[in-house]
Amino acid sequence: MADNVRPRPPAAMTRRHFLATTGSAALATYLTLTRPVGAAGPGPALAGEFGELDATAASGIDLYLERRPLLVGGRPGSAITINGSIPGPVIRMQEGGEALIRVHNRLSESTSIHWHGILLPFTMDGVPGVSFPGIPAGDTFTYRFPVRQNGTYWYHSHTGLQEQLGHYGQLIIDPARPDPVEYDVEHSIVLSDWTFEEPHRVLWKLKTMEGYYNFQRPTLANIDDQMEATGMSFGEVMGKRLAWNRMRMDPTDIADITGATYTFLLNGKAAHENPTFLASAGQRVRLRIVNASTMTFYDIRIPGLPMMVVQADGQNIKPVETDELRIAVAETYDVVVTLPDDRAYTLFAETMDRSGYARGTLAPYLGMDAALPEPRQRPMLTMADMGMMHSGMEGMESNGQDDMHQKMAMGNQDHTKERPHQTGGELPTENLPPRIQHGPAEHGPASITMARTASRRLDYPGAGLGSDGWRVLTYGQLRALERPPGRRPPTRQFDLHLTGNMHKYIWGFDGKKWSESDLIRFQYGERLRINMINDTMMSHPIHLHGMWMDLYAGGNLHDNPRKHTVIVQPAELLTVDITVDAPGQWAFHCHLLYHMEAGMFRTVAVVRSLEGGPIHARS
Amino acid sequence: MPALNRCWPSISAMVMVLIVPLWARAQADIPTTADRPSHQESAARHQGGAPPEMAPPPLPAGMSLDEVLNYAASPAPAHFPAPVPDDRLYAFTFFEQLEYRAATDATPDHLGWEAQGWIGADFNKFWWKHEGEAVFEGSDQGETETDLLYSRLITPFWNLQAGAQYANEWNSGNYHDRWSAVAAIQGMAPYLFEIDTSLYISEEADVTLALEAEYDLRITQRVVLQPLVAMGFAAQDIAERDLGTGLTDVNLDLRLRYEIKREFAPYIGIRYQFLVGETENIAEKAGADTEQFLVLGGLRLAF
Repeated sequence: MADNVRPRPPAAMTRRHFLATTGSAALATYLTLTRPVGAAGPGPALAGEFGELDATAASGIDLYLERRPLLVGGRPGSAITINGSIPGPVIRMQEGGEALIRVHNRLSESTSIHWHGILLPFTMDGVPGVSFPGIPAGDTFTYRFPVRQNGTYWYHSHTGLQEQLGHYGQLIIDPARPDPVEYDVEHSIVLSDWTFEEPHRVLWKLKTMEGYYNFQRPTLANIDDQMEATGMSFGEVMGKRLAWNRMRMDPTDIADITGATYTFLLNGKAAHENPTFLASAGQRVRLRIVNASTMTFYDIRIPGLPMMVVQADGQNIKPVETDELRIAVAETYDVVVTLPDDRAYTLFAETMDRSGYARGTLAPYLGMDAALPEPRQRPMLTMADMGMMHSGMEGMESNGQDDMHQKMAMGNQDHTKERPHQTGGELPTENLPPRIQHGPAEHGPASITMARTASRRLDYPGAGLGSDGWRVLTYGQLRALERPPGRRPPTRQFDLHLTGNMHKYIWGFDGKKWSESDLIRFQYGERLRINMINDTMMSHPIHLHGMWMDLYAGGNLHDNPRKHTVIVQPAELLTVDITVDAPGQWAFHCHLLYHMEAGMFRTVAVVRSLEGGPIHARS
Repeated sequence: MPALNRCWPSISAMVMVLIVPLWARAQADIPTTADRPSHQESAARHQGGAPPEMAPPPLPAGMSLDEVLNYAASPAPAHFPAPVPDDRLYAFTFFEQLEYRAATDATPDHLGWEAQGWIGADFNKFWWKHEGEAVFEGSDQGETETDLLYSRLITPFWNLQAGAQYANEWNSGNYHDRWSAVAAIQGMAPYLFEIDTSLYISEEADVTLALEAEYDLRITQRVVLQPLVAMGFAAQDIAERDLGTGLTDVNLDLRLRYEIKREFAPYIGIRYQFLVGETENIAEKAGADTEQFLVLGGLRLAF
């Protein structure tokens, strides 16, 4: 492990190396795509032909947003392209430099670009309605901000459902100091989901017909499969199904939008197009992975190759070797792999609901490929996802490891009993309470409150993972490589319930949509704790703009990781601490695009004082 | 006995360990969200101090820290759009039944339909329900009922509805119609039963109740068997509608559909409909049929 934290050659060399190893094709696209328009030949261009731009170069860069036909997975579609492609170009920045990006809106509607995970003045954050009014059709907006961090990030539209149409790309910031991650070659991996349907039509379907895209529901025909997969008898399966029906819940409701409409993309390419990443035996390959999907969680593995996870959300972590990792919408992970031989390896990104996959190949030469892994059974939610961890058998069923953790945490609980109502003093930072009971509040008709008890699930890899006989990354394994600055115990906390009515497709916090809510006020300079409690049966990737969330991952003030996006699993109690150091107004939301659009969004106001009454989100 | 006395404490301890459910112990110690502050409460209680030494914050060009903090304490400027249009209006139209009903007796075949739809946001909607049947061979006869309702989502699964119904029927030159006031509860009951219960008070102050319950039994991902029960009740005899007090009539339907798309599903089915109680007696006295068996074929549509 220590080998992995030695300095590596300067960044500039790596960049050249990157371009060289991705081949002349990439270089050619790079050259054409940095030109504004009309670069494509006759007929629609292929999706996934994107280049790279340096935004901290003295002259800055230009991004051109256009609606144009593209072949996605070989089928003609209409995409929102950035400089002619989806994903948009990889944007490079140099830490310590100043980013200068001119965004030219050639769409017939307003647009925006949000720099996901980047600390910047709030007016440059690119959220229409929070940081600025948006970029009207035909206008140019100039983003200019100092670059004060490094790592792998991404950018995307924050306007309507534009992200679904391809409006995203990767953002890489090269560190000012030597990079602790050692590697010889790097590749950008941008995962996303694509539909040929109009995104607003998709949302309409979700709003009007529950479970529209779920074709993995419990049926009479798959009772057999369920008996086989779970080892339960016919009676047990039926009993279980009736229990779910009684609650008006569907245990197969893992993803709202599935392979029934989605084409799953890796760098804009469908699985059959098999994008290939060159690496020869012995080379240390850094994969910069971002999940730019609107709704799809991916489970990533490279059968035959262990992955050394070195970065999460752009932040270096103590390297962890694993075989599979779940990447939520909007998260990024950097992993380093070394090919032991000159064979091809499949980079397999299976969707969490198993309704499809994206895929690429790591190989020493183009045209090689490796076997595709067998697709796995779709997972089903368990009673643990409803916070019923103590009901014996059903808790065990979810994950033995989790149960262990529960017991260990229980043991600690007695002497670390939480003191509620703390406002003046310092809050504990280690051994936080393992679970919390839901109070009587039901949060109204916009919330189907399922979990009566929310628990820490840091060691639970998530539905459908952990029982394949290989290692799976969990949040409980994430530890910051170095103690991030500004770490101190928080002095204020509040609870935030993640709520939703999946039946009516209404999503929010504490039972309220954005339009019904008050601004969440943070006090400038404070250290704040938010206890997120997921009352729903879905995993939500929660994203805070402008400031880091220090994730309580079971560690301490020194080594808990910083995240811009955190998965809160069903019935999970997840705690983040925030150093409130960025004045202004910021977005805070679920990064599932259609949940956000349905109201799972808040405006955070970083103000001088919390005195005075609440401020309603709508003036 | 002394031996038992001696080990009594350990037996009781064992009993405690074995029998006292895990959850009981856990619950006693678990903090509850009801005791903990939400963000407004937390803000109200907070006694802030001066911010500690921090690196200079990222500020927009030309704005001081004070200006930004003051700006942040107000809602977004009026010309900003909503960041998420979470209160948009949606519209939905749903033909649950649009079918040919073939009678197995001498009565004529007819067309039947049952549709509903709404326009509105998440909690408040204008909701309409429309159903009817019409015979096109022989004498021209038919009937329709149209409910126009304000609908409010009062719990996650239930809508409370109120409004008016217009009902008419015609039979070779005779035409009757009436208006009624309606109060309805529509939603999904435990075990996934779709329920619609409507209470009607007509212009003549006649009170009736209609109850409909259905269930989707998924055979495969696209083949669905849907049993449906519809029942009518009257609170008093209503001579001009041939209704007697109590349960008046029952429909038992079974439809088997194939969801080519969720919103486009052809189906076949059967219906057994019969009159009950006093209503049945009235029909018998008049020499009319009191039960009927129908074969159904149709299309389920949503848009």
